[in-house]
This record gives sequence, C-alpha cells and structure tokens, in this order.
Amino acid sequence: MDMFDALYLGFSEAMSPTNLAFCLIGALLGTLIGVLPGIGPTATVAILLPITYFLPPLAALIMLAGIFYGAQYGGSTTAILVNLPGEASAVVTALDGHAMAKQGRAGAALATAALASFFAGTVATVALAVAGPLLSKFALSFGPAEYVALTVFGLLAATILASGSVIKAVGMVCIGLLLGMVGIDVSSGSTRLTFGSTDLYDGIDFVVIAVGLFGIAEIAVNLESGEAKTSLAGKITRLWPTREDFRKAWPATLRGTALGTFLGVLPGGGATLSAFSAYSLEKKMSKTPEKFGTGLVEGVAAPEAANNAGAQSSFIPLLTLGIPSNSIMAMMLGAMMIHGITPGPSVITNQPALFWGLIASMWIGNVMLLVINLPLIGLWVRLLRVPYRLLFPAILLFCCVGVYSVNNRGFDVALVIIFGLLGYLFRKAKCEPGPLLLGFVLGPLLETNLRRALLISQGDPAVLIERPISAVLFAASAILLVMMVLPAFRKKREEAFQDEEV
Amino acid sequence: MGEMSMTARGSRPDLLASGIFIGLGGLVLWSTSDLPVGSAAMMGPGFMPLMIGSLIIVLGLVVGLVGMFKQVEAIDRVKLRPLLILLAAVGGFALAAELAGFVIAAAGLIIFGSMADKEWRVREVLISSTVLTLFGLLVFIYGLDVQMPVGPF
Repeated sequence: MDMFDALYLGFSEAMSPTNLAFCLIGALLGTLIGVLPGIGPTATVAILLPITYFLPPLAALIMLAGIFYGAQYGGSTTAILVNLPGEASAVVTALDGHAMAKQGRAGAALATAALASFFAGTVATVALAVAGPLLSKFALSFGPAEYVALTVFGLLAATILASGSVIKAVGMVCIGLLLGMVGIDVSSGSTRLTFGSTDLYDGIDFVVIAVGLFGIAEIAVNLESGEAKTSLAGKITRLWPTREDFRKAWPATLRGTALGTFLGVLPGGGATLSAFSAYSLEKKMSKTPEKFGTGLVEGVAAPEAANNAGAQSSFIPLLTLGIPSNSIMAMMLGAMMIHGITPGPSVITNQPALFWGLIASMWIGNVMLLVINLPLIGLWVRLLRVPYRLLFPAILLFCCVGVYSVNNRGFDVALVIIFGLLGYLFRKAKCEPGPLLLGFVLGPLLETNLRRALLISQGDPAVLIERPISAVLFAASAILLVMMVLPAFRKKREEAFQDEEV
Repeated sequence: MGEMSMTARGSRPDLLASGIFIGLGGLVLWSTSDLPVGSAAMMGPGFMPLMIGSLIIVLGLVVGLVGMFKQVEAIDRVKLRPLLILLAAVGGFALAAELAGFVIAAAGLIIFGSMADKEWRVREVLISSTVLTLFGLLVFIYGLDVQMPVGPF
C-alpha cells in the first residue's frame, strides 16, 4: 500500500465523528487529570485506562493516545504555573517555564510550550508513518531467538537510560517478570505463584498493578509530603509570545524535535530522556548558558518539543516490534492486548485501518490540544486553585471503579492494596516503578520465546547468538552492561540527570 | 529509622530495597519449590521462577552490600496515617462493591478516604461525597454500564 493511500485510510478512520469525539474526550480528560499537581502522565494513563475498555479497539487506542498527550501537556502547564512537575519529563520545563511565569510571562511560556509541542508532534508523526512500515517488514523475519535478544536488550537498555540506580532497576524488571508468571502456565497447565487462590488463576490484571503502583502510592506520597499544596505564580496577562520569543524559540524547537524523535525510539527513551538531553543541548549551544533557569524561552521550547517528539516516536518500537520502550508504552501494550490485538510487525498488514487510524489520530490529537488548550488555559488555572484534599478522593473513586470494572469483581480492588503498599515501599527505597511494568508486560513474551528457541535447539543456548540479528542485539546488551561498570560513563549518566535534583 | 549517629554508614533506601528484593525472591523460590524445573530444552513451569527468583536474591544481596558502605542516607520521612487510611478505604470499597452496592461503597470510600488528609472538614466531605457518588452513579453505572449493584437489595 502506498503511504498516501495508507494515510488516507488512516485519516478517514480517525475522522469518523465517534473517533473524533473520543479523541477530544481523551485529550480533555488527560489534560484535566494531568494538570493536577503530583499526578504525572503515567499515573494519569493508569487511572483513565479502564474507561477505554468499553470502547471498540481503535476508538479505545485513539482515546488513550489523546489521554497521554493531554496528560503530557497538562503536566507542562502545572510545571510552568506552580513549579510542580508531575513527572520527570516536565522537570526541565519547570526550570525556565516557572521563572518566566514569575516574571508575568506565563502566557508566553504556555503558548511556546503548546506550539513547540505541536510542531514536534507533527514531525514525529511523519517519522512514525515513514519508519513504521520499514521496521515492520524487517521485523517479520524475526524468530524466537531474535525476540529473546530484542526483549533482553529492550529491558536492559530501559534500565540504563532511566534515571536512578541501574541495579535496582534490573531488580524491578525481575519483580515485573515474576508478577507476569502468576497464574496458570500456558505450556504445562500447572499454577504458579497463586498461593492457593483460584482468583489468581488468570494472572494479575495489568490495571491492578498500574493503579496500585502509580495511582494509590502517588496519592499517599503527595499527602504525606504536603507538596501538593499549590501556590500560583503571577497573573496571566499576555498569551501570545513576542516576535523576539519566536525568533529565539524556533531553532530550539527544531533541535529539540530532532533529538526527541531520535531518542524516543530507543528503549528506555521517550519523553524524559529527550527533555533532559534537549535542555542540556540548548545550554551547550547557547552563548549565555548561565542565564538558563532565569526564564529563557529556549529553555521551554526545546524540552517541550523534545518530550512531545519523544513521546510520539516511542510508539515506533511498540507498533512495529511489539516492544514497549517505557512504562506508558507498556500500558498501551496492555490496553491493546485487552482488545485482542498483539502489537508487533503483523499489525500493520493485518489491521491497517487500526495502525494508520492510530497514527492519523495522533496528529489530530495534537491539533486538538492546541485548539482546546490555548483558550482553556484559564479553566486549568482555576482547577489548580482547587485544594488537593477535594481532588484526591475523586481520583481515588476513579481508580477503584476502574479496577473493579475490568473483571467486575471486588477481588481486583483488594489486590490494589498490595500494590499500593508495594508502590509506597518502592518510593521509600528509591526504586523507580517504571521498569517493573516493562518486565510485567514483556515477561510472558520473553518466557515463551526463550522456551521455543531452546526447544528448537534442544537446549543449546548457542542458538541465541548464532543468528546475526540476535547476536548483534546480545552484543549491544553486553556493551551496555560493560559501559555501566566503567566509571567515566557512569559519571556522564549522572550528569545527564543532574538537573532533576534541582 | 529517624536519627543516626555521626559515625553511621549505609544508605537506608538501599537496605530497604535489598530487603524487598531478597524477601520477594525468597517468597517466589519457596512457593514454586514443588514445580518441576525441567531442563533447558524442555523447560518445566518451575524453570523461569527459579532463575528469576535466584537472580533477584543475588541483586538484593549486591544492593544491600554496596548500600552498607555508601554514605549515610536516611529514608524520606514516613507518615503512615495517609497511606493506611487510603489502603483501608480501598479495602472497604472492595468489600462493599459486591455486598452493599455502588452507592454505599463509593460514599464510604470518599468519606473515609478524605480523612487521609488531616485538613478534612465535615461539611466539605459530605458535599463532595454526595456529588461524586451521584456523578459516579450516572457516569459509571448508568453511562458506562459497569456491572455493579446500585444498592444492597
């Protein structure tokens, strides 16, 4: 199929009135929850995920994508206005964005963020449309050995590129893998890790883990730190950036977009890494690096463009290889599975309407965000004035009803208690919960393919490195591991995330 | 976990992480010990749990040993009240959802859950629980058709 035919198909699917409506609802809901201080995009998607189960597959994915962008954008709004980034990807936006807001230029900062995000989203959507089919064709030749190598590489790279301790992240991946084993083992029929409970025979539902680790635990931490109490900076007077702002923001947006599109494809990449890298790149390119943090428009445009481009291009490995590169993509994978779609190279040929419809809706979602958000900024600002003590019970209700509705049973809600407690402990132990989610969704894939590969080779592990693609991927994994042991590289990695401590 | 003397060493978050890893790994090894492991060519259901369970114990030991010699680092302040109230409220909802229906479960969740924040006020909570329960009833039960009884009867 020609790319233009394909895009035409995609737009005709995505432009149907119901799908447009779900895209709009998703973007609105995502922004609504994402704007709440202390709730980042991951938590937002986790909380709203169950709502999409009632929809047909494409509508559900379109709405989820809308929620995701909305959450991302809402997070930036909060970062700029009250200096409370919901998630790491908005941390660098807060540095200069909030400084601009304090100077009374909040409107310009918000508009710059929105315009840069829109531009980056458009470019990354085109990248996805071009790279998707190519990568899918390539991935169709993958056998079990390649999938084992790809999964291992993906999991390992995700732990290294994420912030925080690598060894803890590997441990979190292992916990995720183990959680993925709960239930009846497909090949032998025996039950594993069910502790005698018949309710666990079908395994633990993805939503239970996501809501517990990200939703409940996040509310608990917000409540005990009291951090969620907001103080708004300044009044929003002028919304449109000045000509001078535009002149400075353009090149920064271009660089941020390019960097974000590239970094988003890497496992573990996505929004956070892209935003941090773009910010440090701007600092290096600038003639006045010492002025960063005092309200430079480049410091808002570059990371915002990069995190949106990264968020978008991280769909590439998910849709073409079936490997999610970060925890939000892991949630998209979970959502697709629930609708009976296994993401992978065959999606594009078997369900072209779904694939291209999703791509088209990404772009439409970006347009909608621009159209609804700039006029609605006043509404979001008012929402920020609502005290947290009134907001969190509503989030709690969303979480509980959402989890209940997956299987219509109270048992799943009770399980959330365990994961809420675990999520809280992980935060106290300084363990990032993201890698756990990746391990959980990739665990069954890893085990099945490892079994197949070793069954074919009669137990000889050499099969994993005999085929060229898997050999290259395993070599890359080994290099990553070695690099982590080298002090020089570790220092570089710490530098890359240093602004997070601010 | 509060105060530490000047000579103390060790990163408390690392030690906690180590404890979680070793504990979970041990739990997995214990509960899957009766499953056949099989061989690499014919993996039994116990093969992967044994591998990953052992790996996580090793990781836990490494994190713990390295953490012990790191500079002293305390765990962020812990307040159990919000966490425990939240978890109890969720547990209450889990029980009440099937037994007492949506109205009681939701109102209970919001009233009890609101107390997780020390600044809760009776009037606010009563209003918000009424509004949110009605909203939930319309959107989730009637709108999205979530299969949950409305009342106890």
